[in-house]
Amino acid sequence: MPTDMLDRWREQDWQLIPPTRLSASENLALDEVLTGRVGRGERKPTIRFWQWAGPAVILGRFQSVQNEIDADAARRNGIEIVRRITGGGTILAQPDDVIMYSIYVPDSFVRGLSFADSYREFDHWVIDALGELGVNAWYEGLNDITSEGGKIGGAAQARRNGAVLHHAAVAYRMDHELMGQVLRIGQEKLSDKGIRSADRRVGPLRQQIDLEREEITQHFIDFFRRQFGLTDDTITPDEQQEMQRLATEKFQTRDWVYFLP
Amino acid sequence: MHGEYKVPKGKLVVVDLERDGDRLRNVQISGDFFLYPDDALDALSASLEGAVAGASEAVYREIVTAAVPPGTEMVGFSPEAIAIAVVRAQQDEPEEGTDRAD
Repeated sequence: MPTDMLDRWREQDWQLIPPTRLSASENLALDEVLTGRVGRGERKPTIRFWQWAGPAVILGRFQSVQNEIDADAARRNGIEIVRRITGGGTILAQPDDVIMYSIYVPDSFVRGLSFADSYREFDHWVIDALGELGVNAWYEGLNDITSEGGKIGGAAQARRNGAVLHHAAVAYRMDHELMGQVLRIGQEKLSDKGIRSADRRVGPLRQQIDLEREEITQHFIDFFRRQFGLTDDTITPDEQQEMQRLATEKFQTRDWVYFLP
Repeated sequence: MHGEYKVPKGKLVVVDLERDGDRLRNVQISGDFFLYPDDALDALSASLEGAVAGASEAVYREIVTAAVPPGTEMVGFSPEAIAIAVVRAQQDEPEEGTDRAD
């Protein structure tokens, strides 16, 4: 691990895009747009917190729809099915149940880091921020954030056009019944985890601390600002336009969502 | 036919395929792994298209290894993991009464 990582965090002129209510496909499109802009030097390194207009199930880049979800059950429950540009596993995102953030930074930031190390590095501050709230959390495997109370989150990365996109989802609350209906979690996936029940793998924050979701999000923002500096920013009209075009022309298309049926 | 393999401490690899006589057809590799660049998946899946059915893990591992484009990063899985899932898929016996459409 390079010894100057803390310097690298502090050297960036970080911009904050606060939670902005968008549809699932807009959220995913915005990740692609902002990654491209940071890579081309048109936008400074940025951290964005997500907000959802409605419930969605988000597949990883390489997951098959049928293997991961019961599409009929998703439809019955009014859940949009979308696919993101990063690898990793499926997330059931209900607007009030999850805290998600994306970090966009030029790839010089991860110079000298292995893929595995870069995952840990990007979420290190969140682990520390959770610690301040009394949640003892740590990184497990390649991309999981876990705690004494169970798994609380996961991260994924894409690298393109000279930039890294690192996004992570932290579970605030979990609707186990809905998850059971919509997500298919096979036994093989649990084979090396030593546990049988999918429910027991998770420990959403609401079960662990008495804070509202918005309060935790605000703590994350404050913590990041305190550690590395942070300038308030917004999505520009230009970015918004590109996001909407990409949401329609790519992320909402059947070709993209059912790329692996 | 469907096979899965969870890499210890790594990610899940899923292979769906059909057998056409002694050949593999319509091979689809999926999972919660990470792959850079992302279009390398096409090369991995294509390498197994028309491969001989009923071969050993070592044979499939070599086929996939040879097809990995230069500069590709496979994170949380490997040609070996894909080969195991390919062998498992061919051992898959569809259960009666399941509604699996693949």
